[in-house]
Amino acid sequence: MYKQVTDQIKEAIASGELAPQDRLPSVRELSEALEVSAITIKRAYLDLETEGYILTRAGLGSFVAVVDREALRQQKLDELRANLKRILGTGSRFGITPEDVIRLIRQIEES
Amino acid sequence: MEIVVEAHNLRKNYEDFALEDICLQVRRGSITGIFGPNGAGKSTLVKVLARQAPAHGGTVRLFGMAGAEHDRVVKNRLGYVPQEPAFFTDKTVRWTARFAAPYFDRWDGAGFAELLEQFRVNPLKRVKHLSGGEKKLLALALALSHGADLLILDEPTAGLDVLHRRALLDRLRRFVADGGRTVVVASHITDGLDDIAEDVLFLHRGRILLSEDKEDLLARWKWIQFKDGALDPAIEDSLSLLRAQPYGNRGLIGDFTAVRHALEPVLAAGEARVDNASLEDILLSLVTEA
Repeated sequence: MYKQVTDQIKEAIASGELAPQDRLPSVRELSEALEVSAITIKRAYLDLETEGYILTRAGLGSFVAVVDREALRQQKLDELRANLKRILGTGSRFGITPEDVIRLIRQIEES
Repeated sequence: MEIVVEAHNLRKNYEDFALEDICLQVRRGSITGIFGPNGAGKSTLVKVLARQAPAHGGTVRLFGMAGAEHDRVVKNRLGYVPQEPAFFTDKTVRWTARFAAPYFDRWDGAGFAELLEQFRVNPLKRVKHLSGGEKKLLALALALSHGADLLILDEPTAGLDVLHRRALLDRLRRFVADGGRTVVVASHITDGLDDIAEDVLFLHRGRILLSEDKEDLLARWKWIQFKDGALDPAIEDSLSLLRAQPYGNRGLIGDFTAVRHALEPVLAAGEARVDNASLEDILLSLVTEA
């Protein structure tokens, strides 16, 4: 569950929906709003902080950090590359070529 | 009779305060009001009931389920409205709902939009521009839009203007109308909630002072106005909030049903009169005597 919170906030930051300096609800407030435990939210915030997405200032709360969106994009590209590598590996075991995969991607895009 | 919320010997300690020996049962289809002065422990109690805070002792069962084993089931069936709801302040109401939706399996986006309209909350407004009352209604709309059949609300009418308050009370009444859904509401003011509550629980200094069906409670507690010397001294002694007024004395009696017969001659002679009491009167009496 905490991963879901982390991912959702990361995505909102990467897409620009949440802008630098935007204030995040407190741990208690967000746990109440989503009806999840405070521990879940605390863990998510700690992860976001460690990864540089948010800043927590004692007594003031948590804010969206100034993030390098280009670096985030590069990070996502790296993730995608790893995923694609795995997909191509799976495909090759069944005689599915990279061209087949590209065709699949086009199909998905058009549908 | 199905019990939806059950607490047994619940205990929670703070540095300067403790909830103690809390035992309660909430019937399915009812509205239960938890009333008490500020600092009585209402907020703590509803947080523990809504699983937003751990207890230090005792058990809470929601829908017959205890502990974390059915978390997802309980989460889907429970709607919680905190005392001071807060969200991402820079985002809109609509964004807030989109953010919260994935946490509930039966999210109803159309229902949410409808509720906002009913509550006159603009979905495009940023959270930081909402009034305190509008934030409460946003939290209520979120709680009502995921198919919950139990609502737990903390001070829902505080900060609401008269129109918003009416919208909220109407919605709660409709929520329980078919008998299958249940509301637990905590408040320091009775403010309209006394009208809709069917079961009443008074909390004071972390303990339950009284827990009773509202109709029974209001039948037992009455104001008695009487001329000097008109009442049997034993009855007069049992009155609380006693006060001399220009037109006679006035006091609150807690066992009217028991003394009604004895009072009849005095009432017939016009020496005394009986008036209805409010929940606030009763609470005040119990708290000052406690």
